[in-house]
Amino acid sequence: MIAAQTATEVGGQLLIVSVMVGAIRSGTSIFYAALGETISERAGVINVGTEGAMLAGALSAYAVTAETGNPWFGVVGAAVVGGALALLHAYLVIARGANQLANGLVIMFLGLGLTSLFGASYVSREINGFKPIAIPGLSSIPAVGDILFNHDPLTYLSFALGPAVWFLLFRTRWGLLLRGAGERATVLSSYGYSPEATRYIAVGMGGLLAGIGGAQLSTAVALTWFENMTQGRGFIAVALVIFASWHPLWAMGGAYLFGAALALGPELQVRNVGVNQFVLDALPYVMTLVVLIVLAKRSFQRAPEGLAEVFDAPPVS
Amino acid sequence: MSVATLDFSIDETKQSPAIIEVRGLTKRFGDLVATGGVDFDVRPGEVHSLLGENGAGKSTLMKLLYGVYQPDAGEILVDGVSQKLNSPADARALGIGMVFQDLRLIPAFTVAENIALSLPGGGFRYRRQAIERQILDAGEELGFLVDPKALVHHLSIGERQRVEILKVLMSGARLVILDEPTSVLAPQEVDGLFTAIRSLRAKGLAVVIITHKLHETRAIADRVSILRAGRMLASGIDPTSVDDRELVNAMVGREVPPLPAERAAPPDNKVLALRVAGVHVRGDSGNTALHDIHLEVKAGEIMGVAGVAGSGQRELYEAALGLRPLNSGTIHIAAVEMDRCDPGAALGLGAVGIPEDPISDAVVPGLDVTEHLALANLSSLRKGLGIDWSRAREMVVALDTRVGLRMVAHDRTVADLSGGNVQRVMLTRAFGVDCTLLVAAYPSRGLDVATTRRTQELLLAQRSAGAGVLFISEDLDELMELSDQIAVLHNGHLAGVVTPGEVDRYAIGQLMLGGAA
Amino acid sequence: MTIMETPPRDEVVVVMETPSAKRGSDITRRAGGWALAYLGALAVFGAFMAVKGVNPFTAYRAMFESTLLDASSLSEVLIKAAPFLLAALAVAIPARGGLVNLGGEGQIVMGGVAAAGVALVFEGQMSSGLVMVAMLLGAVIAGALWAALAGVLRVAAGINEAISTLLLNYIAIDVLLYLISGPWKDRAGFGQLASKPLADETRLPTIGSDGRIHLGIFIAIGAAIGIWFLLRSTTWGFQLRVAGGNGEAARRAGLPVAKLLLSGLVVGGAMAGLAGAVHFAGVEGQLRPGMTFGFGYIGFLASWLAGHHPIRIAGAALLLGAIAVGGDSLQIDSGLPAASVNILMAFVLFAVLGKNPRLAGASR
Repeated sequence: MIAAQTATEVGGQLLIVSVMVGAIRSGTSIFYAALGETISERAGVINVGTEGAMLAGALSAYAVTAETGNPWFGVVGAAVVGGALALLHAYLVIARGANQLANGLVIMFLGLGLTSLFGASYVSREINGFKPIAIPGLSSIPAVGDILFNHDPLTYLSFALGPAVWFLLFRTRWGLLLRGAGERATVLSSYGYSPEATRYIAVGMGGLLAGIGGAQLSTAVALTWFENMTQGRGFIAVALVIFASWHPLWAMGGAYLFGAALALGPELQVRNVGVNQFVLDALPYVMTLVVLIVLAKRSFQRAPEGLAEVFDAPPVS
Repeated sequence: MSVATLDFSIDETKQSPAIIEVRGLTKRFGDLVATGGVDFDVRPGEVHSLLGENGAGKSTLMKLLYGVYQPDAGEILVDGVSQKLNSPADARALGIGMVFQDLRLIPAFTVAENIALSLPGGGFRYRRQAIERQILDAGEELGFLVDPKALVHHLSIGERQRVEILKVLMSGARLVILDEPTSVLAPQEVDGLFTAIRSLRAKGLAVVIITHKLHETRAIADRVSILRAGRMLASGIDPTSVDDRELVNAMVGREVPPLPAERAAPPDNKVLALRVAGVHVRGDSGNTALHDIHLEVKAGEIMGVAGVAGSGQRELYEAALGLRPLNSGTIHIAAVEMDRCDPGAALGLGAVGIPEDPISDAVVPGLDVTEHLALANLSSLRKGLGIDWSRAREMVVALDTRVGLRMVAHDRTVADLSGGNVQRVMLTRAFGVDCTLLVAAYPSRGLDVATTRRTQELLLAQRSAGAGVLFISEDLDELMELSDQIAVLHNGHLAGVVTPGEVDRYAIGQLMLGGAA
Repeated sequence: MTIMETPPRDEVVVVMETPSAKRGSDITRRAGGWALAYLGALAVFGAFMAVKGVNPFTAYRAMFESTLLDASSLSEVLIKAAPFLLAALAVAIPARGGLVNLGGEGQIVMGGVAAAGVALVFEGQMSSGLVMVAMLLGAVIAGALWAALAGVLRVAAGINEAISTLLLNYIAIDVLLYLISGPWKDRAGFGQLASKPLADETRLPTIGSDGRIHLGIFIAIGAAIGIWFLLRSTTWGFQLRVAGGNGEAARRAGLPVAKLLLSGLVVGGAMAGLAGAVHFAGVEGQLRPGMTFGFGYIGFLASWLAGHHPIRIAGAALLLGAIAVGGDSLQIDSGLPAASVNILMAFVLFAVLGKNPRLAGASR
C-alpha cells in the first residue's frame, strides 16, 4: 500500500530523488518515535513499548479521523493514547520496580491486543486523512522542492520538533533536570527534586510523540489501518536512539536513513529491478545492525549513566 | 551496655546563639540505633569537628540535619525555632548545606550545568553565560576558583570538591557540613582547604567537618564532638582541653594496641613478586592513565602506593592483576611475564587482589558468603560436572577461623551486608590464599579501628610469609606505618619511591602534587 | 577525665540486615497476591470486552469450557505450550547469564527453516527416523547459530543483545519469506506462499486417539528437566550465574566471561531452534508466513512469569498456551479478534513484573 502510493506520485523521477522523498515520508513516523524515546531514555527509562504506543497511536488517529472527519482530532487522540500507554510503563517501572525491557515488551503486547480488539471494525474503512501541502515557491525548486517542501503537515511539524526537543534538553533548566534524572538520580534527590516525577513526565512525553508517529503512519502515509501495521518501526526507533547517541538531531538523520532503506525496495520494484522484495525488506534491519556495529562502542559510552545500569543490570526474577 | 561519660569542661567564651541545635535526636534502622538521644549544636563563625570511627553514627547525624533522614525522636532547632526537615530541600531553604563524601555531582555535566541544577529558581531557560559569570564572581569572592565550562569528569577529585563546596555556598548555605573532606586530598591540598574554611569562618559562616584524623581536628576545629556507637560522648568541647590519647580512647572505647614496631628487614634478595617495566595504560575514558611506570616489589616487601585520588592507583591495581590491557611495557609476576590481559593467568601465578570497590567488582547478587569464597577456589572444589558444596562449606569455616576477621554467618547473601561486613568477606578471601603477590586497594575502608588493626597485622603476616604486597591507600599515616617503601603517583606518573623513615608526610605530599621531593 | 569502659561493639551498621522473612506467612501472602493478580487481569480484560459489547461472563465461560473442558482443546493447549516452553527456556538460560534474549522469535523461525531445509534435502534419501533426527539437529544448530550472531556482537562489539536479537527477528522472518517465495516455493501450492509439505512419515510421531499429541511435547518437557539440571547442579550453571550477576566480579575471579555469555545465548538459541522444528514437524508440516508469529515473545514472557526457573516455566507455558487457545475461542464464540487475548496476557504479566516495589528506583 505504502509502496504503491509512493511509486505513483513520484514515478518518472530519478531513483535518488524518489528514495529521498520516500526517506522523509517513511522516516517521519520513526523520527517521532525516536524523538520520544530520546526524551525517555535521557531521563533513564528505556521503553521498548514504543512499538505498542505507535500502534495504538496509529489506530487511535485512524479511528478518531474516521469518526470526526478531522485528522487533527486524530492526532490529539493518538497523542493521548500513546502517552497513556507510556505512563503505564512508567508506573510499573518506577513505582513497581518492573524490569524495563520486559515490561516494555508487555506494553507492546498490550498495544497489539488493544488495537486488534478495537481496530477490527476499522480494517476496511476509508478516511479523509492528511494530504501533502506543497509550499508555494519552494516546492517548485527541482529535486529539493519534492524532497523537502511537498509533505503532510505532521512532517512539517516534525522538522520543527527536532530542534525544539534539542532546545528543551540542552537549553532549559527543565532539560538539566531531565538529563540529571537519567545520569544520577541521587544528585537530584539531594537538591530536593523528585527524579521519579521527572521520569514520569519524560516517559509520558515519549509515548505522546510515539503516538503521533503512529498517527503520521496511518493518517498521512498509509491512509489505511491493518493489524500490526507498524511492523517493528517502534523497535527500530529504540535502536536508532542508541546510534544517535541520545541526540535529537542525530535521531532525525538516522530516521531518514531508515526511511530511505524502507523506500528503496518499492522504488526498485517500480523500476523493474529484479530483486526479491523480502531481501529488500530486510535491508533496514541489516543496516541498523551494521551501523550499530560501527558505532556501538563509541555510542554506548555516551549513554546516560542511569540507562547504562539498565542495560548492564542482571534480570531480576 | 554502659555508656561512657566524659566530664570535659565546656568552653564558656563562645556562646553566640546556635544556627542549629539538636536535642535528644534518635534514629533507628530496624533494631539498630544509629544515633541515640544525641545533643549537638553549631554556632555561627565556628568550625565544629565531629569525631568518631566508622559506623559511629556521624553520617547518620549529619543526614538528619540535612533532611535526608527524619528522626524517630528528638528535635532540631534552627535559629532557635523547632523545625521538621522532611527533605534536603527544607534544610537548604533554612541555609543548611552538605558536601557528601561521594560528591554529588553529575560527571557528564559541566561545572556550570551542575551548579545551575543545584540553584533554586532561575526561570525556564538555562542561561549558560549568566551562570558562568555568577560562578566566576562567587568563586573569586569566596576563594574557590573553578572553571565553569569544564566537564566534571575531567576534574581532579580536589577540584570537584571545590566545585561542590562552591555549589553549596552559592545556594545560600550559612552552615556547611563537610563529610570526610580530607580523605581524598594530599596534605598540601588539605592545607588549602583549611585556609578556605578559615575564610568562611571569618565571614561568620558555620562549618561542621567530619573526620577521624586528630591532627586535622587540632588544626582547624574550634570545638569538638565525639560520637561512639550512636552516643554523643562529648558535645562541643574545647579541643585544647584534652590530649590525643583521651580523644582516641573516647572514639574507640579502649586502648588500641600498637603494631609491633620491630619487624624483620625485607629480605635482601633479588626475588621479585612483581615487576612493572615501562608500562603505559589507558583509563576508562581513553586518556593515558599510567605513563611509563617502572616499579619492583620484592618478595617479602610491602610497597605502599600513595597519591591524590585518581592519580592512577586503580589502573595500577588492574594492570598488576592482568585486568587491564597494557598499551606498552611489560608486567612480570613471580618472574613470569604476563603476555596478555588475562586475570586468570595472574591468578594462576599466585596474584591476589583486594578490590577497591567490592560491590561493583566482586560481589555477585544473590550469592552467599560460602559461594563467594568458593568462587576463588573453583578448580579445587570440582566434583564431576558440579561443585562439592559440602567441602566448600568446610573450607570456608576453616578459613574464617584461620584469618580471624569474624565474617557474618556463611549462608548470608553478601550483597545484603553492610560495607564493613562485605569488606571482611573480601579480606578473608584474599588472606586465606597463599600468594606470591597481594595487591591490596584500601583494605581497611569501612572498618572499625580494631578490625583495621587486625587487617594490618594480616598484611604484615603475608609479608613475613614471603609475599610481595602492593598496598594502595589514601591514609598516609597507615602507609608510612606499614610500608617498606612508598611509590608516589602523580597524574599517572611515578613521582618517586621513598622510604618512610627517611621522609615526612609533607615531602610525600609534595610528590603527590607533582613537585620534587 | 573518666571514661567507663565499654565492651567493643562488633560493628555498628547503618544498612539494614534483616534475615529472610518467616516462611509460612510469606507463602500465604504470595498465593493471595497471585490470585489477586489473575483476577485483576481478568477484570480489566472483561471491562474491555464489555466496552466492545461482549458480555465478559459469557465470553469467559465459553473460553473456559472450550479450553479446559474439552479433550481436543486440552491437547491443543499442550501442542501450543510445547514451543512456548522451549522458547521460554531460550530466554531463561541467557537470563542466568544476565542477558536479555528478545530473539526467540527469529531463532524459532531459523529452526523451522533449517528443519524444512533438511527435510527437502534428505526426505527419501534416508529412513524417516534419521530424517527426523537430522531435522531436529539442524534446527538446534540453526537456532544456536542465529543466537550466536547476537552473542558475538555483544562480546566482540559491545552491542546490547536485547537490541540485536530484536533486529535479527525481522531479518529471520525475511529469510523465511524469501525462501518460500523463491527457492523453496511449493509449485503445487496454488500461489500460496508455502514450502513443500512434509511427507506423513517424517512428521513427528503422535500418541493418543486424536493423533495430535506429538513427540515434541515430550521433547520440550525433557529439555526443561535437562536445563534445570544444567543450571542448578553443574559448574557451568554456577559460573553462568556469577557472570550474569556481576560480570566484572566473574572476570576478576578468572572466569571466561565472554565464552560463558556466548554459551548461554547459544544453548538458549538451540532451545528456540528446537521449538521451531517441533512446531514445524509436529504441527505445520510446511513453512508458511507467520506460522510461529509471537512464539518467541510469548516464551519471553513465560520465562519472566516463572522467574526464569525451568520447571516453573513449564507451568507458565501451559498457562499461556491456555490463554492462546482461549483466544481462538474468543474469535469463534464471541466474535472478537484472537489477538485481543494479548490484553489479558499483558495484565497478568504487569501484575507479575510489577511485584517488586522494593526495587523501585533500582536504576538510580
